[in-house]
Amino acid sequence: MIKLFTLKQQKKEGEQKGSGGQQKKASAAQLRIQKDISELNLPKTCATDFPDPDDLLNFKLIISPDEGFYRDGRFVFNFRVGSNYPHEPPKVKCGTQVYHPNIDLEGNVCLNILREDWNPVLTINSIVYGLQFLFLEPNPEDPLNKEAADVLQNNRRQFEFNVKKAMRGGYVGETYFECCLHK
Amino acid sequence: MSSPAPKSPELSDKSKKYDRQIRLWGEHGQTLLEAATVCLVNVTAVGCETAKGLVLPGIGGFTVADGSTVKEEDLGNNFFLDPTYLGKPKAFACMQLLQELNPDVNGDYVEESADYILANRPNFFDSFDLVIASNLNEKTLLVLADRLWDANVPLIYCRSLGMMGTIRLQIREHCIVEAHPDNRQFDLRLEHPFDALRQHLDGTEVTNKVPWLLVLHKYLSIWQKQQTDGTLSPRNYKEKNQLREAIRDEMKADEENYEEAIKAVNTAFGAGQIPLGLKAIFEDDACDQLSKKSNVFWIMAKALKHFVIHENKGHLPLPGVLPDMTANTDSYIALQHIYRQQAMQDADQVYHKCQDYLKQLTLPADTIDKRSVRLLCREAAGLSVLRGTRVAEEYEKSSRLLALVEDNELQGNLTAFNFALRAYERFLSEYGNIPGECTVEQDIGRLKSIAGKMMSDLGMHATISDDVLHEICRYGGAELHAVSAFIGGCAAQEVIKVITKQYKPIDNTFIYNAITTKSVTLKL
Amino acid sequence: MSVHSPNPALILQNKRWNGLRNVLEREGPFCKDDFSASSDNLEFLQTNCKLLVIGAGGLGCELLKDLALMGFGNLHVIDMDTIELSNLNRQFLFRRTDIGSSKAECAARFINGRVPTCRVTPHFKKIQDFDETFYQQFNLIVCGLDSIVARRWINGMLLSMLRYEDDGSIDTTSIIPMIDGGTEGFKGNARVILPGYTACIECTLDLFPPQVNYPLCTIANTPRLPEHCIEYVKIIQWDKESPFGVPLDGDDPQHIGWVYERALERANEFNITGVTYRLVQGVVKHIIPAVASTNAVIAAACALEVFKLATSCYDYMSNYLNFNDLDGIYTYTYEAEKSEGCLACSNVPQTVTVDDPNTTTLEDVIKQLCDSPRFQLKNPSLTTVMKDGKQKTLYMSTVKSIEVATRKNLTQSLGELGLQDGQQLTVTDVTSPSAMIVQLKFQGNEIEMV
Repeated sequence: MIKLFTLKQQKKEGEQKGSGGQQKKASAAQLRIQKDISELNLPKTCATDFPDPDDLLNFKLIISPDEGFYRDGRFVFNFRVGSNYPHEPPKVKCGTQVYHPNIDLEGNVCLNILREDWNPVLTINSIVYGLQFLFLEPNPEDPLNKEAADVLQNNRRQFEFNVKKAMRGGYVGETYFECCLHK
Repeated sequence: MSSPAPKSPELSDKSKKYDRQIRLWGEHGQTLLEAATVCLVNVTAVGCETAKGLVLPGIGGFTVADGSTVKEEDLGNNFFLDPTYLGKPKAFACMQLLQELNPDVNGDYVEESADYILANRPNFFDSFDLVIASNLNEKTLLVLADRLWDANVPLIYCRSLGMMGTIRLQIREHCIVEAHPDNRQFDLRLEHPFDALRQHLDGTEVTNKVPWLLVLHKYLSIWQKQQTDGTLSPRNYKEKNQLREAIRDEMKADEENYEEAIKAVNTAFGAGQIPLGLKAIFEDDACDQLSKKSNVFWIMAKALKHFVIHENKGHLPLPGVLPDMTANTDSYIALQHIYRQQAMQDADQVYHKCQDYLKQLTLPADTIDKRSVRLLCREAAGLSVLRGTRVAEEYEKSSRLLALVEDNELQGNLTAFNFALRAYERFLSEYGNIPGECTVEQDIGRLKSIAGKMMSDLGMHATISDDVLHEICRYGGAELHAVSAFIGGCAAQEVIKVITKQYKPIDNTFIYNAITTKSVTLKL
Repeated sequence: MSVHSPNPALILQNKRWNGLRNVLEREGPFCKDDFSASSDNLEFLQTNCKLLVIGAGGLGCELLKDLALMGFGNLHVIDMDTIELSNLNRQFLFRRTDIGSSKAECAARFINGRVPTCRVTPHFKKIQDFDETFYQQFNLIVCGLDSIVARRWINGMLLSMLRYEDDGSIDTTSIIPMIDGGTEGFKGNARVILPGYTACIECTLDLFPPQVNYPLCTIANTPRLPEHCIEYVKIIQWDKESPFGVPLDGDDPQHIGWVYERALERANEFNITGVTYRLVQGVVKHIIPAVASTNAVIAAACALEVFKLATSCYDYMSNYLNFNDLDGIYTYTYEAEKSEGCLACSNVPQTVTVDDPNTTTLEDVIKQLCDSPRFQLKNPSLTTVMKDGKQKTLYMSTVKSIEVATRKNLTQSLGELGLQDGQQLTVTDVTSPSAMIVQLKFQGNEIEMV
């Protein structure tokens, strides 16, 4: 296409660009995340929180389910978007202790699009919907918290009881959960 | 300095140093490499770059043969010569600078030209595992190649001139066990389950926790019963779709193992048969007529053949490699265990047959060990044998080049350049100087008449484009470092393939044009 | 040892260049149309042509050698890494005694010693430590990197350095070509990128293989592979038990030893075989297998493209080479296509003219973006990078918490916000599939400058 290009034409030494100052340019990851963030279409049970509005790469997602086992709970997820976004997925951890078959006590979340099924076409919005779904339909088939999954599978009422107990703040088995009810 | 030696297993210093390549050809490949010795004939940039690609990964030893001394002209393209060696023997200089790359490697040199060695002590070459040569004249090339063919020493001959480079591998016979195919087909035997597998498949309930293999087996069995002609697996798109639909109809939710079974319909069947390459090996005379001198590969191949035909109903030994499948741990591990056990059993049978043959041949039992047989059985579907041709054949009437002539012209820019490089070598032999070294115009004419003569000697009525000959003369013998580095890198890898008996080498001529960044491999 | 000399007469006297000079000083039937055979070509390579090699690893070592012996006299090399034992099977400019030293410095020292006609300047730094003024000085940049992030960064840098004519076309003198090589085992690729003109790194981001990530629940509850056991220790057990009170360091043998032992325990518990020390290292450090030969081939292919671009003697490759020598030797060249919607290279800055930065507010600029027939945006979000290099969100109406925090900016003037003439804003809006760059131009600025 550009046959006429020759290296020797380049002017080096002395000559400099037209624009003022040495403004750093936004990275490709930055451009993409801005697009993702500004087009977030949150379900009414979800909200974002940007502790630093200038930093779009680190933020919180708060999910407050209005139905299902986790109704009245308030769950905070911490998003960290790396410089290789969207080639690599953001790192997402649950900051609220929760009794949930797909979330362990360290806050690891088992959601396929956060790991094995991530691809660059997906957006932050896809993850938000995935997380929200986890609270509506906890999935005992893919457990991270095996005890919780077993209870859900074998005794839904017991599971519901345990969830409520954990959300109110209290022990489920050996584990103590902090209260996370929506005030 | 390096970190203190840890107590952990496997971390010998050498194993650490060669870690990145051992991940490719394994400890056993590395051992073969470290036991090999090669000879480098002629100190050129392409020769030294090839040697570099062998010294770094830790070849056992190398000997450089060159009768000339270092001149200023030599410094421009060869990284393994430097001004401190001006006037000194080239073989010595480049041996020292190459060896310095890796103290594990033994370097040696002789200050003699290929011509001198061939005339005075031609058996010099016979003890090497492989000889690398470059930029010879035609006469020397043919004498050297013939000598090596007779001595059964593989030859890698490299050309690097201007923007052109070629590699010619001359090897009599090369047997490859581990070809490392890019896409390995898993051999699952669903159509012909062995007893242990059949029992397991029939005795296990298909739930959403079991590997897809069990799901597929369940619906394959149903499908098989619907076939009136006794077909064991779907043969075409339509039949595969029938099977897929049958599985999909039974899905309740989106069970992952069912999804995986549907996906696997396309690739799960058909393995375990004798592929064409292996059939040729079984029918090879070398497989049929074993002797005390037979390569162990052929003894194992014959035992394999016996097993397949007489003991396993025409099926290959089971490789015993299972792909990962979504499932709970126990059901997957149980299935994996069944495949692995059967693979061991099959390999043991082949091993015992090997021992029978060794006894018949009065060879010691440890000539073949169990590990090698297991490897051979695992890789049975991909075994291959390469039978090379003599370089000299390219100069005879039966030349395979004839197939490449169309409309009286040598077809393809790469073929033409390869032929022009041969004409260049005859030019060197006949005129004793380099085409285009002083005058380009005059030498184009001379090169053209040589090429024409060579064509007619081969019984070919064809011409070669003037532009190609012009380009060759324009170089005036220039060897460009980057082209040599490209060819040297490729050539080193071909040597490693030959020595480790892993991966498939070229058969037999690789031609590279750096102007167009195109390449081709021809069997000449 | 002779001293590197820019004196043209001395260059031509040096017999080491006899071969190269045939190629550069003789006409030929396959040469590029605008090639002029002359001794100026070698002189240019030896004196004025300045190249940057990024990475002094497997490809970098080869590149420095190849370029030095192809006549280039002025090379710079950047690498932030130090030498390790496992480098020595291919990074041939380093010896055992160099372990722990800077790759860039060591490589430069070796080349400078061996090839007296070449001067290599090392930078023991990260590419991100340098700005535009540094990269500006090079005619061409060659990358031998193993990191996608680094490739994306330098790609973005070179694109941001493009200058445009008034009609929006690229000023070709501002193009710095980027030659990029990559290898993995017996496979590799080399590509030529003319920023703004041909497919860039972002255009073809999907050519990089995705990272292997196993499902977390498999790792936690239904492991089947040795890798699952290793990942479990790495992702879950390490944080839980925090054996050394620090994050996992793949280069610390104690750490790897701990992971190995725990992974082995876990594998035994589940009857899984195949956990080896080498596998543990590979999984923890994401080790990519590497051999000398593939690096040599790919670096040579890159060096040849550099040579063609610098001398114009032949047409450079258009634009992507795939190489593989698992089965025979296979090469394939094709033209990777520029992506029209590429975030990075299809993003020509759009100029917005502002009369007076001290009276024009951010709201005025937003209004202009919405009302002007050229943009017709609905609800734009604006960010920028400030002078200190920090990202700043100017306004974003679609996210509540950010809207609240940035609302006050609307009524501030551009001057008050610290925006300058030529400042680039990143603008996203529902009307456009990707982010765009808007460049502010302050009217009357030139008059003030006089």
